[in-house]
Amino acid sequence: MSATELLIELTLMPLVAFVVGMMMVLMMRRIAAKLQRRVGPPFFQPLYDIVKLHSKRTQVSHGLIHDIGIVMAMGGYIAAETLLPVPGMNGIAEKGGIITLLYLMMIPSLGLALGVGQCANPNGSIGIARALTAMLAYDIPLVIVVFGVAYAAGTTNLIDIIATQQAGGFETWGVTQMPLLAIAGLIAMHASLGKQPFEIYIAPAEIATGPMVEMGGKYLGGLFVMQCFQLYTTAVLYVSLFLGGGTTWFDFLLKSFLVLAIPMSIAYLFPRYRTEDLLRLMWKWPVMLGLIGIAFVI
Amino acid sequence: MMLTLLDELLLFSGATLLVALFIGRGLAAGWMVTILYGGQLLALLKMAVLGYGGGTIASSLSFEIMGQELSWRFDGLSWFFALITIGSALLSSWFSCGAWERSYIRQGGNIWLFHTAMALNVFTMLILLASGDLLSLFIGWELVSWAGFLLMVLAGGVATSAAMRYITYAMAGGMAIFGGLALIYTASGSLQLEAVTTAVEQMSGAKLWLLVILFGGGFGVKMGLMPFHLWQAPAYAETPGPGSAFLGAISSRMGLFAILLVLVKLFGIVNIESLKLPFTPIDARDLLAWIAVFTIILPTFTAMKQNDARHLLAWHGIGQGGYMLLGVVVADAMGGAGGLLHVFNHATYQAALFMAVTAVIYRTGTSDLNKLGGLVVRMPLSFVVLLIGIIGLAGLPPMNGFVSKWLVYRSLLNQGMPLLFLAAVIGTLGTILSVYKLIHNIFLGQLRVEHEHVSEAPWSMMIPMLILSAIIFVTGLLPGIPLEWVASALQTVGLPVPDHTLGGIESASGSLDMIWVIGVLFAGFGVGALVFYSAGRSKRVHQLDNYAGGHFLSADVRYQYSDNFYAGLMHLIGGWYRGSFLWLERSIRSLVEFLSLGMQGLYRRANAEFYLLTTALFVIAWVVI
Repeated sequence: MSATELLIELTLMPLVAFVVGMMMVLMMRRIAAKLQRRVGPPFFQPLYDIVKLHSKRTQVSHGLIHDIGIVMAMGGYIAAETLLPVPGMNGIAEKGGIITLLYLMMIPSLGLALGVGQCANPNGSIGIARALTAMLAYDIPLVIVVFGVAYAAGTTNLIDIIATQQAGGFETWGVTQMPLLAIAGLIAMHASLGKQPFEIYIAPAEIATGPMVEMGGKYLGGLFVMQCFQLYTTAVLYVSLFLGGGTTWFDFLLKSFLVLAIPMSIAYLFPRYRTEDLLRLMWKWPVMLGLIGIAFVI
Repeated sequence: MMLTLLDELLLFSGATLLVALFIGRGLAAGWMVTILYGGQLLALLKMAVLGYGGGTIASSLSFEIMGQELSWRFDGLSWFFALITIGSALLSSWFSCGAWERSYIRQGGNIWLFHTAMALNVFTMLILLASGDLLSLFIGWELVSWAGFLLMVLAGGVATSAAMRYITYAMAGGMAIFGGLALIYTASGSLQLEAVTTAVEQMSGAKLWLLVILFGGGFGVKMGLMPFHLWQAPAYAETPGPGSAFLGAISSRMGLFAILLVLVKLFGIVNIESLKLPFTPIDARDLLAWIAVFTIILPTFTAMKQNDARHLLAWHGIGQGGYMLLGVVVADAMGGAGGLLHVFNHATYQAALFMAVTAVIYRTGTSDLNKLGGLVVRMPLSFVVLLIGIIGLAGLPPMNGFVSKWLVYRSLLNQGMPLLFLAAVIGTLGTILSVYKLIHNIFLGQLRVEHEHVSEAPWSMMIPMLILSAIIFVTGLLPGIPLEWVASALQTVGLPVPDHTLGGIESASGSLDMIWVIGVLFAGFGVGALVFYSAGRSKRVHQLDNYAGGHFLSADVRYQYSDNFYAGLMHLIGGWYRGSFLWLERSIRSLVEFLSLGMQGLYRRANAEFYLLTTALFVIAWVVI
């Protein structure tokens, strides 16, 4: 592959992720609206929101780290997208692999944590403490799942993991080969999105939306962009690990939206857990399923 | 007689010690000693051939005691550890010169003793690393133990009791090693390194087990392996700042060096693997791996509960040692490389972290995580150093800690060890939580009124910190540089070497190229910055201009979250902190005290007739029976 082609891929991959991510936000809102018997927002609402937040006149900064935190939150995901293969584009996926991708996905959270820290608001800090605890909760089943998939495929290279699944059609998909891991992964994925019933670090009624308490204007806008990337990355990662990735853009996007619709629908039907309940739940059921799943793989 | 390169290095190191010993009182002494460490580094670099391919450089010093020949030499493994030792000594000593030194003297510290103890530590460590037979290894081991004690005891008070505890453990460890040596000597009649291999061939399973336990336990004490981990954190944390940076960087890795030399190189991982634990599917290698994993998890979660920055870091130092041992006992190409690379990486970020915390103590007078906050606006460079350090410690890209942990994860994945893998990741997640608490409570959040006029750390402290930060980043970007040295060390101990490039690892089952990963990461930050800064200009507000649920904030209101930081987590796991090991340690101590009291009572009761009667009875009984 020539350098120009690679450069085009590296530019296109985050861009596609952003556009698809906005549509995923839209889907999330529409699902919420359906369940709450509302009409829901129009098609371009996520885009309007991002533009609006970035062009607000009042932009309140608590210092340089506050700014850098937002930059890291966006930038970390932009970088992560280049490690996540999509139909026809592999970017630099083979130079990193799944473990690197998982760790790169922690950079935005770290950036956000730093930015919120400088806001000097205990509500925000409590939110971050809860968010990190949540990460400790769902990442344990998640790494079991990733271990199982990578071990079964004999590689940490996502391109190969996808290729192995596509080799024999539905029969060789991760979800048919390793159903227990797929279920555990779905639960962990739901928690990683931070939506109800795992929305412990936003908790508007207790800690005034936690990390977002001092975020307005483009700061909130940056977080909005981050959420678009987060939804996309999570969904596509799940599709790549268990649903055979995508051969065409159509089935790739269809799978991604469908898999994301599951936690979204559950989210708006349930109230919120407490932090320790989240830990207990994550460390029990998905971990147990994952470990049994791994026993089948090894 | 021609001096070999190793002779030069040892002489240089000895000279450093003498300079510190005889003219260590003057204020220029610190600089002089630092320059001499630089000289040691140059002398070491003259032996760089060892770090790139191997070979051995012997010392001309050798003599015989009771038919046993003592000799000293350097190989790839020694060179690698010596590089870290001298490097961290150089930067710690540099850090201690000037401003820190003056404040240390003002507070009544003995700077002569400090420099001497540091120089002695480096000298003895080099002697240990150079040991060419088991006897010189044992001598070096004891020297290092006592030198470490000298540095730990400096601060007095709490430090003294921590150092006493350390020396008790160290002596017990030393006795275990001595026992191991005796076993080998009786089996093979020699104390040369090859004697271990001969002894292993001749010994039965039970005796081999005993050897592994004696050596593993004895060397493990120094590394703070479970269950011998209790001494380390307080001992390192209470050492004067630059001293704890040095100790935290390298001291306990001497245990790993000895394990690599004796258990991995001479014993052979294959032989360790063949030792089965009766009635279980576990072998000695699994046992070591599980000890490593518990050494990762428990100290890491203990660190999370600390409220003193130095103690928090010191506990992490123990935990990170677990990754090194874990990689080494998995012993495939990636694992071995990961374990050894982590020694280097850990030294760089741990030293930087201790220095940053010392800089904060220098300016504010405290390392209590509940009495700091918001310092990023006053000490921005120290913040950057601490940030780079914690990213390294947590093992996230783009810093060097990620590469070595990635290698360890990959080896566990390749070998199909899900539980060990999971445990290693749990350790990393715990570390992330803990280091965020560290940086948040010191540098983020509300700036306290009393720190309103604090200024950045002085340059004499800042420059070594920045050099370390640069090393942390550059070896994260180009891990190929240290991997060359690691490869040489791996060859020396007979472990396989992974295919590496300047940017990382080549492997059919998934490669890593940090140049690309970091490249896209910074490109991503660039795009993010473009989006962010092209939007409307933001207005900087005062920290008290903040949401407080309808209240006005004033400077006297403490508006900071620092205590019981992970409350939700502690609701669940708080009860799991039982202090079982502390309880065990206390009960052993009580037992010894009780026994000694009993003995003392018997001895003090000068009841001659009673003793005579007892002895007579015993004698009669013996004769009759």
